[in-house]
Amino acid sequence: MEKANKKSFGEIFADLSLPILLIAMVIFFSFMSKSFLTSINITNILVQNVHVAVCSAAVMIIMISGGCDLSIGYQMSVAAVLVTKMMSVYNVPVVIAVICGIALCSLLGTFNGYMALKLKSNTMIVTLGTMAIFQGISYLISESKTYHNLPRAFMYIGQWRMFGWLPLNVIIMIVLLVIVGFVMGKTSAGRKVYAAGDNPEAARLAGLNVGKIKVLSFTVAGVLVGISAILLASRAGSADSGTGVGIEFTGITACVLSGVALKGGEGTLWKVIVAVFVLGVLANGMQLINLGTYPQYIAKGVIMLVSLYLTNRNAQGI
Amino acid sequence: MGGVLTEILSLKNISKEYPGVKALDNVSISFEKGEVHALVGENGAGKSTFIKTISGAIRPTSGTIEYEGKTYSYLQPAQAIDMGIAVVYQELIQFEAMSVADNIYMGVKEESGLVLNDKERQRKAAGVLAEFDCHISPADLIRNLSIANRQIVELAKAMVKKAKVIIMDEPTAAITVSEQEKLFEVVHKLKASGVTVIYISHRLDELFRICDRVSILRDGQYVTTKDIQDTSKQELINFMVGRELSSTYPDKKPAAAEVVLSVKNLTGNGVRDINFELHKGEILGFAGLVGAGRTELMHLIFGAAPRESGQILFKGQEKKLSSPKDGMAAGVALIPEDRKFQGCFIDKPIYWNISISTIDHLTKNGMVDRKAEMELAEDYRKRLKIKTPFLTQLTSGLSGGNQQKVVISKALASLPDILIFDEPTRGIDIGARHEIYLLMNELAEQGKSILMVSSDMEELLGMSERIIVLHEGAQAGELSKDEFTQEKVLALASGL
Repeated sequence: MEKANKKSFGEIFADLSLPILLIAMVIFFSFMSKSFLTSINITNILVQNVHVAVCSAAVMIIMISGGCDLSIGYQMSVAAVLVTKMMSVYNVPVVIAVICGIALCSLLGTFNGYMALKLKSNTMIVTLGTMAIFQGISYLISESKTYHNLPRAFMYIGQWRMFGWLPLNVIIMIVLLVIVGFVMGKTSAGRKVYAAGDNPEAARLAGLNVGKIKVLSFTVAGVLVGISAILLASRAGSADSGTGVGIEFTGITACVLSGVALKGGEGTLWKVIVAVFVLGVLANGMQLINLGTYPQYIAKGVIMLVSLYLTNRNAQGI
Repeated sequence: MGGVLTEILSLKNISKEYPGVKALDNVSISFEKGEVHALVGENGAGKSTFIKTISGAIRPTSGTIEYEGKTYSYLQPAQAIDMGIAVVYQELIQFEAMSVADNIYMGVKEESGLVLNDKERQRKAAGVLAEFDCHISPADLIRNLSIANRQIVELAKAMVKKAKVIIMDEPTAAITVSEQEKLFEVVHKLKASGVTVIYISHRLDELFRICDRVSILRDGQYVTTKDIQDTSKQELINFMVGRELSSTYPDKKPAAAEVVLSVKNLTGNGVRDINFELHKGEILGFAGLVGAGRTELMHLIFGAAPRESGQILFKGQEKKLSSPKDGMAAGVALIPEDRKFQGCFIDKPIYWNISISTIDHLTKNGMVDRKAEMELAEDYRKRLKIKTPFLTQLTSGLSGGNQQKVVISKALASLPDILIFDEPTRGIDIGARHEIYLLMNELAEQGKSILMVSSDMEELLGMSERIIVLHEGAQAGELSKDEFTQEKVLALASGL
């Protein structure tokens, strides 16, 4: 009763269904709106989704390790207001502020993972709690203000274009995604994250330190979230405590659409990124064809259900 | 006893076949109204398949079920419940956060209509519990009750549903002696009210206190039924074992004298005061009933559970084991009892499973060395004869025997001196079993030492050079090869 190794047509189709959906949407919107398939608009879509893609990679790592993090939005918020306040109010050099922001987020992530480990609780519930804590911290730092007047060097991160057309933040995104893809797919560390998420007890009995792996997954995700906060704040040119809030849901949505298992142990980065851009293209295209806000909600929901059907019909239900 | 008028349930010529296994082979047993009828047999004798046939959980391959004069070829679960058949499982399935009364009346139609009346419900539940003469408050939450009381709640539930046949599966496995008394009283009351109780237990002693008759199953076959006053514990054991060892076990060179592992007064994880030595190239068997603490002991030696006191010495050196990683560093590898949930990553490829515990040693320039990884997997595929066309195949697509070989490969990849085989052939067909036995012998002859936990008596006697028997977490005895008999092992394991 040994299954053959070849993938069936259905499995290949499920693998490629998101890219096909993405291409179909691009073709559809190109017909519907003249301004969709222009270099300005495509660059726009890329630039607007840089921080979403990096965050989704963070969400993916956590989900593969068997966890879930609802506090990512407020982690971003804390990092964004901290970095921008340091620079605009205290004139801290850009490099130091950026490093502080990233370091802070890695600490917040580690805190999430460590609390889940020590409280022996579900990470979703733990991060529901820490989300509130981070929200409070963010507003304490920001004093409900918005921080403008950021140094030019900082704004360059989000707005400078190499050769006049290639956005720096897109380059940063690509570099980060390549690193994440490499670590998760090619190194023993990545392998262990999959093992710990797939079957924690088997992983423990195989000699892996499952607790450590899970906490470190949160740490690494925190680093990505911190970078993501800087990418967003530097593109927007300002930050307040609302910066990044709610992004965890976009990230989780992208992960689930791409087939990252809720129980852990499964997920592929490129599919997650394609899913991010499915959502990004959809939002952009609907704006361009002047679909009203409410029909947009409906269309988004329908597209999500369709892509769930396409990606998961060969997989087991949840 | 007997007679057509009082017979309530009768199974006739029941067989149940699974691919490669006959779980039940032409078994016929009938049950009288108002009797407590015990069902005994070794692990794997077919007791649970038999009760599942009665409860409708499985459909027999052939045979008939007669219940109150009507004949059925199989029962549906809902039908069995409606007919008045109730099962109290060993692992109680209850609503832990709900009250006793809510549990008793769950799924029972009440007269009060749509709105639940808590007071009324609790008053009625109190009435039912009062019949049993026990002090459980109907308002208590299930999760605050002892296991014995939770079982009494299940019995009360069966009464409310007007059950005529109640099956109790190992009710005393997890309760204390004083609780046991309370439970027995309830069983007596049920019997007095005309209910038939089918009682499954490994503890032979208690059968003599509460049962009227006892039926014995062995290897899926019916042996006999006895009135309890006409039999003895020893006779029951003989009936349960009742077969000669077949010679399917390969011969093995005797072990060397060198001691590789010695365990002194080891206590923790539910076992206490364990002492033994393991020699180089030896296969040391561990016998005991379910829950005797064999797996728990193995976890202590592997570092998967913390010890409370005592020593574990590897080649004379004491090692502190605080995680499986430490155990592996000390040269121990574990092949866990539950292949799917502890042994392997079932949704991952074969090579992935084989390399996972040594993945840190398979890296080059920070990357997993795919070539070395595949070579390792290929090596074990050849050595253990894992039948698969591709190492990239998912483990879930393999047969049980080949899955087990993947798990063994993973354990061997860490180059252990001591291998723990916990139920090495559970759920594996005969042919693959023999391959696993040959492999174990080969490993032992190469100088690896093996601790083997098994509930398969034949396998235990056939493979082991010595057997240590555990009983309720303590060492009940040690038997050397010339002392081996199934009767002796079973007697020690039952605490006789």
